Amino acid sequence: MKEITNKVQAIAAKLFEEGKIDVFLAWEKGELNFKTKSYVARNALDVKNIVFDEYSIYNVSNSLLKFRDSHERIGIAVKGCDSRGIVRLLEDLQIKRDRLYIVGIPCPGMKDPLAAARNHGGFSKKQEEDGLAKKCLDCIQPNPVIYDELVGPEQSPRQQGDRFARVKEIEQMSADERYKFWEDTFSTCIRCYACRQVCVACDCRTCIFDEMKPQWVGRENSSTDNMMYHLVKHSHMAGRCIECGECERVCPVNIPLMLLNRKLIKDVGTLFGGPEAGMQYVEGSKPPLSVYRENDPDSFL
Amino acid sequence: MKVLSKAKLEAALNKLSDRNEVFVPMQKGQQSGYFTWKSFENGQDELMLDALNVYQSPKNAVLPQTEKMYSIKSQGVEVNIDQTYEDAHPTIIFGARGCDVKGIIAMDDVFLTRGYEDSFYKARRSGNTIIANACYEPGANCFCNAMEVNSLEPVGADVILRDAGDGYVWEVKSDKGEAVTALIADLLEEKEAKLPEVKPFIQKVDYSGVAEKLKSMFDHPLWDKLSQPCINCGMCTYVCPSCYCFDIQVKMWGEEGYRFRAWDSCMFEEYSREAGGGNPRGASKERFRQRFLHKLEFFKERYGTPLCTGCGRCIIVCPTDINIVRIIDAVKEAEINA
Repeated sequence: MKEITNKVQAIAAKLFEEGKIDVFLAWEKGELNFKTKSYVARNALDVKNIVFDEYSIYNVSNSLLKFRDSHERIGIAVKGCDSRGIVRLLEDLQIKRDRLYIVGIPCPGMKDPLAAARNHGGFSKKQEEDGLAKKCLDCIQPNPVIYDELVGPEQSPRQQGDRFARVKEIEQMSADERYKFWEDTFSTCIRCYACRQVCVACDCRTCIFDEMKPQWVGRENSSTDNMMYHLVKHSHMAGRCIECGECERVCPVNIPLMLLNRKLIKDVGTLFGGPEAGMQYVEGSKPPLSVYRENDPDSFL
Repeated sequence: MKVLSKAKLEAALNKLSDRNEVFVPMQKGQQSGYFTWKSFENGQDELMLDALNVYQSPKNAVLPQTEKMYSIKSQGVEVNIDQTYEDAHPTIIFGARGCDVKGIIAMDDVFLTRGYEDSFYKARRSGNTIIANACYEPGANCFCNAMEVNSLEPVGADVILRDAGDGYVWEVKSDKGEAVTALIADLLEEKEAKLPEVKPFIQKVDYSGVAEKLKSMFDHPLWDKLSQPCINCGMCTYVCPSCYCFDIQVKMWGEEGYRFRAWDSCMFEEYSREAGGGNPRGASKERFRQRFLHKLEFFKERYGTPLCTGCGRCIIVCPTDINIVRIIDAVKEAEINA
């Protein structure tokens, strides 16, 4: 990974020197070994801070949202999942392709800095495992799907077995059991909206949950409002979730959000077919459920 | 000294729970926080009194995340308050660390002083007793000592527990403390106990002069750099033991409904949005700056103490590694160009 770090730094330095970019988005080291976080390099001198290591798990494509209204030309280093985030932003016209220089890094799987921080923090009596993060064990696309330059050897998907096994288990429940399951699951939500904020596919300028007139979803920490929040948020991700798993990873109360996302991935796949969200970029293409046609064969709407 | 043997801890919690809702730190399934002792499930939940702390602070006991305030009935053009819900039922926070006690004492300043009393908070607090758990071994992210908290002698606690191995030394500090002690008097023993050794703080934080220096740093370029990774979720504010901001909203069904308040967060765009649509803190940086200025400068100016209690929770949970200790360092080191 040191080698990849060196290569990415060299590419970023060259891009700055040639005047091709104004910023480069990647990761930097915090003060402890496991603290790797998102980073914006603004000139060739900053480039030495860029790092790609076993904790570079943060989905950097999310950082692009802070630049969508500006004119900076952006270099960005991406893993497989991050690159799918870029496709989403391109499809949603949030950023123009010609503003980006994408350095793809096939990803060997990451550890979770948050799990390490929890172990280090001493609030729990049990230590969490130090291996690859759950989201990385579930990874189907470690290799970047869009890039201008690729750094490092290709990697194989790590996901094993039936990707939808747990979804199918939940589908087998009776309606009442299923309702109870989700009601219990969402009852612990503290509505911090980290799952929304960390989500690259959540790129709406005004989120429905921030609308006050009318207020679509109440602010109460109750099973009704919590359930409305999650069902609306995740339904909105149908055909859009790029399966980066960041929502579930950052949740401070451990809600298994990817279970909901995976159900929607499965349903969208069954109903519409085609490539999954963010798997390929075709200029002008739109994900399912985002096109309106007057001659739509479905009478709904 | 009075000692509560650990073998009698559950009996004591049962007894206290006869007349009080008792909030205890526990691991409850995937959750780590203060939950009522009555909800404790043997074999599934785990008491966390001997852990450093839990992720969700005890502030919920005095400022619930959602609190019904009053119900309303409208008749024609008249709108009448049907019922108010000031709730003074007896509660005990059992085993709070000094940082978390300080969080509640800071909220007392906000809700009960400076000429305005919040009747809902006042009611809850009047029924509330704090049994603190003195902290002898600071964790990796603890810095309460730098934030004017004495983890061994938490100010505002009604009883202080000291973990002496097989029992808790039970020190009564107030009349409220006397009252709860009377409930379990038969379980306390009079004996000598050896107190643990006080371990040093790992984090070295120097807050001196930071509040004063921040007065001239509102437009300092450091906020651009420090706020860059922040994604403006509200996790830090919701796990914080002293963040007390709330929003008042209403739910109506036809002629009837109720008003409630719910925790809010300065990290949210909607929090500072004004009626005309403007927003003085429209960008991420401004909201980020507000949080740290409130913690480190504004509260100190108004109440003489910082609003951060040094518990370290936000440092652990932040998905983008925003670290308030590093922010204090950065402010200390920053150069100010006049």
